[in-house]
Amino acid sequence: MKKILIVDDATTVRMYHRQLMESIGYQVEEAGNGLEALERINQESFDLLLVDINMPKMDGYTFIEEVRKTPDVRATPAIMISTEETEQDQDKAYAAGANFYLVKPVRIEALQTYAELLTGGVQ
Amino acid sequence: MVLKKASAIASNPNTAPAVRGLQEWLTLLDSQDTDERRLAARALGEYSVATPALLNALAREKSIRVKGAILVSLQCIGGHRVLEGLLPFLRSENAALRNGVIEILQGMPEEIGEYIKDLLHDHDSDVRIFAIDILQTLAHPDSPNWLIDVILHDKHINVVATAIDRLTEIGTPEMLPAISAVKARFPGEPYIEFVVNLAVKRLTEE
Repeated sequence: MKKILIVDDATTVRMYHRQLMESIGYQVEEAGNGLEALERINQESFDLLLVDINMPKMDGYTFIEEVRKTPDVRATPAIMISTEETEQDQDKAYAAGANFYLVKPVRIEALQTYAELLTGGVQ
Repeated sequence: MVLKKASAIASNPNTAPAVRGLQEWLTLLDSQDTDERRLAARALGEYSVATPALLNALAREKSIRVKGAILVSLQCIGGHRVLEGLLPFLRSENAALRNGVIEILQGMPEEIGEYIKDLLHDHDSDVRIFAIDILQTLAHPDSPNWLIDVILHDKHINVVATAIDRLTEIGTPEMLPAISAVKARFPGEPYIEFVVNLAVKRLTEE
């Protein structure tokens, strides 16, 4: 089963995304900010990262930049999910190394499509 | 402008070095050397008169470490001038800076209270969400009423969902009708359905 790390400081958002991803067959782990997530991905491998932007301790842009600089995990695909809707925000996400950008609240169909594209399916 | 160390200086005959120190630190805040700027930023936390210089430096500073030092010093200085100087940074394009400012504002409960209402009605939905984030650790007696006002009137789904999320922590069972009514404002929206159901469950359990 493919494993996803949800990185968001809002517990409710993490729970919502967990519910969506588990309903389509992914195994889910959680981190409350970028710093915590960096520690997690250095301990175990993930098939996909779902990353918020605004978080304490380390924001989502910085987290993805750090992932892309870390040899063993740099290829891990990442979807940035944020409340920020402007084209500028999306450009910054892609510049940091995100593979896709989704605006909250995400639709399960969109999330499933992008997740499967990046992970090659659930199994 | 009031120098925070004024009383100490008045009672100390060796005041000149402290004043010279201030000027030197202000000069070093513009240094080309990152370590010097960081040291200066930390040292200036002793001087409320340095608030404008620190705020200007925060706007132009590129180094994350120096920015962190500036924020710590502004937090040490505190007060309305610092708070009013920090509020514009909530609109910064720099996420790390924005989040640093939110953390500092969360630590200023006495000062921020009078500004929160305006922030919760800001034209920018992201600023309204940041205002709710600030409320997360703000033990202000009006917080529940401000959040109820948001969930009843704000039109942006993410602002409303963030406010409901916050109400699950500080709300009371009397607020359940207002929270439940949000579903009707966003019909067929699964995220709101999820957030409302979770809030109702938690508040009912309590």
